[in-house]
Amino acid sequence: MSKNLIFCRVGLKNWKNFANAEVAIQDRTFLVGPNASGKSNFLDAFRFLRDLASPGGGFQESIERRGGVTALRCLAARRDSYVGLSVELKDPSNTSKWEYEITFNQTKQRRPILRKERVAFNGEVLLDRPNDEDRYDEARLSQTYLEQVNVNRPFRDLTTFFSSIRYLHIVPQLVREPDRSVGRSDDPFGGDFLEQIAKTPEKTRNARMRRIKNALHVAVPQLQEIELERDNRGTPHLRGKFQHWRPRGAWQTEEQLSDGTLRLMGLLWAVMEGSGPLLLEEPELSLHPEIIRLLPQIFARIQRRTARQILISTHSPDLLRDDGIGLDEVLLFIPEKEGTVVSTAAAHQDIPSLLQGGLSLADVVIPKTRPEKSQQLALFGNN
Amino acid sequence: MDGALIIDAAVEGIIDEAVAQKLIVGAGGSPGTIYGKTGKAFLYQKIQGFNNAAKTWPWLVLVDLDNDKECAPPFCTRWVPDPSPYLCFRVAVREVESWLMADSETLASFLGISRAIIPKDPEGLVDPKREMVNLARRSRKEAIRKDMVPRQGSGRPVGPAYASRMIEYVQNYWRPEVAARRADSLGRAIACLRRVIKEVVA
Repeated sequence: MSKNLIFCRVGLKNWKNFANAEVAIQDRTFLVGPNASGKSNFLDAFRFLRDLASPGGGFQESIERRGGVTALRCLAARRDSYVGLSVELKDPSNTSKWEYEITFNQTKQRRPILRKERVAFNGEVLLDRPNDEDRYDEARLSQTYLEQVNVNRPFRDLTTFFSSIRYLHIVPQLVREPDRSVGRSDDPFGGDFLEQIAKTPEKTRNARMRRIKNALHVAVPQLQEIELERDNRGTPHLRGKFQHWRPRGAWQTEEQLSDGTLRLMGLLWAVMEGSGPLLLEEPELSLHPEIIRLLPQIFARIQRRTARQILISTHSPDLLRDDGIGLDEVLLFIPEKEGTVVSTAAAHQDIPSLLQGGLSLADVVIPKTRPEKSQQLALFGNN
Repeated sequence: MDGALIIDAAVEGIIDEAVAQKLIVGAGGSPGTIYGKTGKAFLYQKIQGFNNAAKTWPWLVLVDLDNDKECAPPFCTRWVPDPSPYLCFRVAVREVESWLMADSETLASFLGISRAIIPKDPEGLVDPKREMVNLARRSRKEAIRKDMVPRQGSGRPVGPAYASRMIEYVQNYWRPEVAARRADSLGRAIACLRRVIKEVVA
């Protein structure tokens, strides 16, 4: 059951760039906005939920990892304001609907403290804190019910679902030098990417590698085979066989594979692994524009099979050129004085007429999210 | 196809790219670089460049007539008043989807629909893309419907994987020769490519 949930609405209050944002999201959602407009901070709200619900995480730890309440709170907010996060989830058949809401700030000693935690299922409230016990013993407000196995039974599905959220922003250098992120598991930057492939049961691994090879063949036609092998110290390595002037071709390890090849491999592996929401940070990096423009189609076809939710931050006009991207699938992040405003492209009334007149979504959305005064950067170095 | 004559092309989008490649191969050529793929306006701006290149080498430029009021011949003159000898400037009436519908047998089986509901005169359609989406809407295959038909609220004319489905169809099933019997503009495109190849080889 937890497997097939998706987020359908998100509300952020005083969360980093967002003073007050509420927006509907789809199975596939593209986040578009200038640098520092809060696309990553928006994705971080989902990672925060994941951290809350994951082993080794929890409320205190999740906030500490983010530098404390003060660092989390929106700059536009007053000092004592609460930070709030609320989400709505549903299954694809629309038969069950979950709501989760959390509000917090900090004590005088700067310890994070819950002000509200609420869970509802199909409109029925399963949890509403602070409850009587919390009022009797305020120390209880240092933990969410979500993270506690002994009290989260009525909404365990929600906990499981949150902990299945996966964030990915592959840095090819880290894939090549796994020593840099030794001991990290589920490293979003790809430090344990090869280890993860190695851990996958052989049959599944071979099937996925075959699919990746077929897909990669389009982007990198010289690549004939890929395989995983362990060196004598047990460290896994990826090898690719390239077509070559020598009749038998040449093998290259991950150290020699290009950034684009490694990133695309990581991306394709990630979309096939797991079933929870996948948060992708700029999947277009290092890829050829012709490959980038096919990414939305790849995601759509994978989602049809897996019903998995994918949230993608992007700066790429090539990616947004795809005619099949729904206007309700695009979130625009526009920074204002009082924090970033988030809206779907569908909410902008001029967009449909511009599209009808022959502009692509990229033609419309990129200028709308252009950093103000960006042309002044051209003067850099003058004085 | 080793030794085949390489033909470059310029097209409006990625489905047209697949169509152009198939036509070039069918005419005995080998597809070279495919330019454009960012809409019609780009092609209109750059047509002089493609025409220049076609002075010495065969080129295929493929555009949709869309809803331009004029017929194909004046449309061509407006775009390229002075065509180079090796330029195949071809106009799909009204969109490349008409050409795909013209091979109704393979399209019906690909989409999972009855052949009888595919329009008999695809070049007479005002909005062939919309017609294609409507055909997909009636598909027996859920995957086709989900990929090709836009969700309610999407505000777009096509579904999330419309283009990749059409490319899949063109590459694996579509038969241009058969389709040409029901789409004159396609027949003329094929004939033009053959003629240019023959002239260059001779």
